[in-house]
Amino acid sequence: MNTHAWATAFLALSLLVLGLVLGAQWLLRKRGKPLPALRPLPAFQDLRDEVKRVAESGKTIHIALGSGGLSSADAVTSLAALQVVEALADAVVAYDVPLIITVGDSTLLPLAQDALRRAYERRDLAELYKPSLVRFIAPMPVAYAAGAAYEIALEDVMTNVMVGHFGPEVSLIADAGARLGLPQLAAAVSPDAIGALYPITNRLAVGEELYAAGAQMTEGSRYLVSLTTQDILRFILVIAILVLAVVQS
Amino acid sequence: MTTKTRGLISILVKKWAPIFIATFAGLLVLVGYLFPTPLLVNYRGRPTELRDVLVEWAVIVAAFAFVLGVVNMLRVHGGRALRRRKGWFYSLALLLAMLIGSLPPLLEILQWFLGDALPDVQIQKALNYLVFDHVIGALGASLAALMAFTLALAAFRLMRARRGGRELVIGWLFILVVAVVLLTSTPLTGLDWLPLADIRRMVVNVLGMAGMRGLLLGVVLGTVITALRVLVISDRPHSEF
Repeated sequence: MNTHAWATAFLALSLLVLGLVLGAQWLLRKRGKPLPALRPLPAFQDLRDEVKRVAESGKTIHIALGSGGLSSADAVTSLAALQVVEALADAVVAYDVPLIITVGDSTLLPLAQDALRRAYERRDLAELYKPSLVRFIAPMPVAYAAGAAYEIALEDVMTNVMVGHFGPEVSLIADAGARLGLPQLAAAVSPDAIGALYPITNRLAVGEELYAAGAQMTEGSRYLVSLTTQDILRFILVIAILVLAVVQS
Repeated sequence: MTTKTRGLISILVKKWAPIFIATFAGLLVLVGYLFPTPLLVNYRGRPTELRDVLVEWAVIVAAFAFVLGVVNMLRVHGGRALRRRKGWFYSLALLLAMLIGSLPPLLEILQWFLGDALPDVQIQKALNYLVFDHVIGALGASLAALMAFTLALAAFRLMRARRGGRELVIGWLFILVVAVVLLTSTPLTGLDWLPLADIRRMVVNVLGMAGMRGLLLGVVLGTVITALRVLVISDRPHSEF
């Protein structure tokens, strides 16, 4: 069996396991069994309170979705980051909080605009929606970070949220927020970005925690189910690694 | 056309069509990778796997999205410059830079249409050179250099953001690790007898690598599950649901 065949078999098996676990979880939910409680993630837990705080101040929330897009390997990370926008959009519209979203890849632009537009339409406030609330900054990561940092300084931002695919250049955005003394919430998957964000904020979701954004912020059953699946698979993976290490030693 | 029919078409176009296209294309590409069957099509005169054709189409769609991005930039910065809002001068500079940057490809398109009517192609090359080497390259390098300072500044700010005993201990540990790795990376003359390289190797290659692998495995799990959620239509970021 060559490497490609092994990889294919492993992937097919993983998908099968995932499908089975997801199916079992759905069945449990249908039968009315409660889903396990979430462990707190400060990065997302405090976000709704931040919206209320910003509403009182009349200032703006900035969400940086990173330089990832839909046509690259980080598409799923960008989709997970978009869950934050979707979860936050209704609260933002309800409290009439100005929101600015900056993207570094144009493929994310229509999706973010759409998420925001739908939130306005759900409240029958479609006429208040402006497409320019979502801003494409630049296609290069460093230029994007510099442009987003400039938007923070310019737009009277009260809270800075950085969630999505970033590299070390995220330090430029975080630095702009730190200079203004803003509360900063972040979620990143790349070790470079995590290293750059860790000193700036203690409300940081690290690695796979980013994919828990939807579950944490909406507590929607589909997110809770997939998060539980993720946890189960992680335990299985840890045990498999330990067993293999013992067997090989 | 009745209102009911119009509503039905609207639901089909806004809700179901994007879901069908995305799920069908996603599953086809995934299955193509998992089970590479000889499902070949003759694409641009060569036999190609169907999944490759779809991936190539995605790149074309992404190019259209870039046009949307440019329109968005024109709208945001054009509005700011026209209404003389705060920062209008920088917006104007950006628009001018965009115009200069778009000149080489525009000239190339003109060349394609006019053939030999445009006498000197050297202008395009000079403009390309000017824009990429002297503006974008230089600005990118200076921003990357700035990053080193923002990272150093972040380390100084670390303790201000940390509250409580546990967080402070972790913060100090972070600074200690960074200091050890940086110090042991430098050739300290006269201290050759110290096992500095071994310490660095231990911190970076064993502890650091173990942490990074754990992190990446978690990310892979999250990625697979999120992707699966989109494929089984549990998540519908592309539809009006």
